[in-house]
Amino acid sequence: MPVELAREIDVFEGQIELKKLGKIEDKLFAETRLRRGAYGQRYDNGQRHDGIAQRSLAYPSTRTKGTDTLWDAPGMQRIKIPFGGLNAQQMEVLADVAEEYSDAICHITTRQDVQLHYVHIDDTPDLMRRLAAAGITTREACGNSVRNVTACSLAGVCRCEAFDTTPYAKAMAYHLLGHPDTQDMGRKFKVAFSGCKTSSCGLTNIHDLGFIAKTWSSGGVTRRGFEVVVGGGLGAVPYDAQLFDATVPEEEILPLAQAVCRVFARLGEKRNRGRARLKFLLEKLGLEEFRRLVLEERRILRPDPRWTEYLGDVERHHEAPIKAAADLPAAQTQADDAQFQAWRATNVYAQRQPGYVVATVTLPLGDITSWQMRQLAALARRYVGDNIRTTVEQNIVLRWVLEADLPALYAELTRLDLALGGAGKIEDVVACPGTDTCKLGIAASRGLAAELHERYVQRQKDGQIDPVTRDLHIKMSGCFNSCGQHHLADIGFYGVSRKIGGATVPHFRVLMGGEWENNGATYGLTIGAVPSKRIPEFIDHVTQRYLAERAPDERFKAYVTRIGKKALKQMVDAFATVPPYAVDRSLYSDWRDPREFTTADITTGECAGEVVMQIEFDLQAAEQRNFEAQVYLEQGEVAKADEAAYQSMLIAARGLVRTQFWDLPDEPERIVGEFRTRFYDTQLFQSPDAGQYAGGKFALYLLNRHADRERSFTADKARHLVEEAQLFIEAAYSCHQRLSEHRTLALAGADAGAVAEAVS
Amino acid sequence: MDLHKFGIKFFATPGKRFDILKLIPMYHRWIQHKALQDLLIDVADYSHVPAGPGVMLIAHEGNYALDETGHERGVLYYSKRRLDGELPERFARVAARALTAAQLMSEAEEVGGALTIDGNRLQFFANDRLAAPNTDAAYAELEPALKSLLERLYEGVPYTLTRELDPRERLSVRVHAAGEAPVQTLLERLA
Repeated sequence: MPVELAREIDVFEGQIELKKLGKIEDKLFAETRLRRGAYGQRYDNGQRHDGIAQRSLAYPSTRTKGTDTLWDAPGMQRIKIPFGGLNAQQMEVLADVAEEYSDAICHITTRQDVQLHYVHIDDTPDLMRRLAAAGITTREACGNSVRNVTACSLAGVCRCEAFDTTPYAKAMAYHLLGHPDTQDMGRKFKVAFSGCKTSSCGLTNIHDLGFIAKTWSSGGVTRRGFEVVVGGGLGAVPYDAQLFDATVPEEEILPLAQAVCRVFARLGEKRNRGRARLKFLLEKLGLEEFRRLVLEERRILRPDPRWTEYLGDVERHHEAPIKAAADLPAAQTQADDAQFQAWRATNVYAQRQPGYVVATVTLPLGDITSWQMRQLAALARRYVGDNIRTTVEQNIVLRWVLEADLPALYAELTRLDLALGGAGKIEDVVACPGTDTCKLGIAASRGLAAELHERYVQRQKDGQIDPVTRDLHIKMSGCFNSCGQHHLADIGFYGVSRKIGGATVPHFRVLMGGEWENNGATYGLTIGAVPSKRIPEFIDHVTQRYLAERAPDERFKAYVTRIGKKALKQMVDAFATVPPYAVDRSLYSDWRDPREFTTADITTGECAGEVVMQIEFDLQAAEQRNFEAQVYLEQGEVAKADEAAYQSMLIAARGLVRTQFWDLPDEPERIVGEFRTRFYDTQLFQSPDAGQYAGGKFALYLLNRHADRERSFTADKARHLVEEAQLFIEAAYSCHQRLSEHRTLALAGADAGAVAEAVS
Repeated sequence: MDLHKFGIKFFATPGKRFDILKLIPMYHRWIQHKALQDLLIDVADYSHVPAGPGVMLIAHEGNYALDETGHERGVLYYSKRRLDGELPERFARVAARALTAAQLMSEAEEVGGALTIDGNRLQFFANDRLAAPNTDAAYAELEPALKSLLERLYEGVPYTLTRELDPRERLSVRVHAAGEAPVQTLLERLA
């Protein structure tokens, strides 16, 4: 396991213990776990409506792991899979941890992550260690951080890409992971790479920062780079990404991303969670001003060798097939099995490398069992090696399959119940977790998705789906937050509710005409709401009308645009009626959930994370380090204890200084120097109104220890230093609290001034 | 061996089938009426996954399912939290929970008599590769407690044990006892 990952997990485990001891407040712990991907789940406030009444879930412990979030309540663990890249060993570990800590299901998300549900927080350190041993991190999978960096699942084998974006996406993911410039953002930040402008798999248009590969000629040399777009995003109000720069050379993408993150961290909204994404900052500043600020920030960045070092990896990056194309006997590709041919027609993509194909393993609703995942890993080893990716359509692809191996692979997938066809077709419905597990879910997106999926699979078997209809994309979300990417579907849905005769009825709001192609270039138009239980018949009606009324070769988006919103609204309205409860109760519950529908289970989501200032993480880290000093002391490792106590003070001091000077280098000399100038000499640290921490002596604990370069290590000295470090950290907390209060008062004063000015 | 996470699946008589979606209202009713000893939390529907865990009832202490792994239907319960007592005691408690669920499920109106559990066929698995990897040594440690459970369940009736040999899979044993073993009888023996 990489040392840094091991240390990161040890720290988290320590924080769990500190939380159990009541030494970390809820808000801070919540953001701490979110930044490790440990997310809340529905009913984790201990309340659940069981269809009759709201009941309390009597967990053994009353301890909490966030505001109104009970310790024992199961949660979701999100696992980052940069660019969706997996190897067989990682698949096996994912299968194992899903089995042992979750419910034996790995769920692939619309951003190429893997999610496990019903995980107990106490199990997360072991779970994370096992993943880390296979090179997988959950760090910054949730919270106000840079989320999983996504990329086309066909990168490197695609027939229309400019070049393989894989090594770039990988470099970006690991450069931004834990980077100081990404630690103080007001909300999440999503990055995507696409190999071309026309296909859909990169979806750069819906990302905060999108990179679209391109090449150009300069001085007779072909250069690589990217068209960079910023400020895209779905959510309640979707925004198209805007062109930031049409041509950014490859050596500039990492510093540019850093600069964007710094501007976002510095100027992005922090208090109003609903306006805290980059798209709103861009709207507020305007593209030109945003660009100016980013370029200014880029100019003052301290050079980092990693910006260009990764280009060596780009040159070395080479995905190797495990079987040589020369082995290909062409006759073997001609299996006459009709089921195989049907699967092949929808699930196989011919790579640009002759003789090789990508085989899509269609996962219903993105779900795969542990047993299947393990067996699929074994298949991957035999057929493609480590060339496996998750996709944004919640499937898994095996790349570099020999075309001649397809019949055998299909037979093996059939044995695993993984040979479902229809990848990217109408039956391959995409859905977020919705009310199944999400705290924000309004309606049962997975229940509806499962229903539609099963209907269309059956119809396809029965030969009852027209090929034109089959090409449609259906996507749904349980609420307006768009995790199911419903805006990009031909027919999209998001969950809402309506009061009918005093009862609440689950509905889905309908969007039509979204564009999946061209990186998700057009968002669907919202038309109206249809009761959940009437959605299947509504879709049947829409698709029949489309088939009957479409012009030759007219695509659904064009059809929707042509017939106009009025006609679409009429279609929706025809299905909007809900019979009274006494006449038909079935519409008053949701798909695959017979409880009478209620929205009482919706609580505050954790998508937005908690706004926790970086200084608070720093002070917590300082405490953790001093705790480790105590452990060393207990073990008789005096020098280590002394050093750890000193470091804990440095961490706390650095945190304070960074509230004024963000780019403070992580060098003891600079930290102590800046601390002395900014906090000791100014008496900020020992302010007279600071009560028990008034004296300057606490600051001297750090200054003296730092100056003691010829220090001899003794148990007594170490013990004293550990005590002093604890007092220093407490004083740092006090100082931070005092300064925060002053800032708040100053802001309030400024607001009052602004109001007075506006009134006058 | 300090094993707390493990499970038992009692297999259903092959042949009889019913739509497992019918379990959803049944589980919700169980939650409403606190029909089982565990703290019942929610229902997880994986009926769309072929040969998967079917529809699950998630509890704090463990998970229940009419599991369909390997296309072999059976009532499954596995523990997730620390259990008190010695290993044989823990095994018996988990087996009793699986059997209680099996009995309730077989009798449920929603199932309509389409589920019969063969008490004489079960699969035991350790759901913790760190504590109990699928090795001969770990099996040797676990075997006495397992045999103690089987002795209580089958009271001297001979049985066969078949171990899962794939080292990637969990430490797991299939048990097939001679003759019939009604669920009610097994529950009484564990009481």
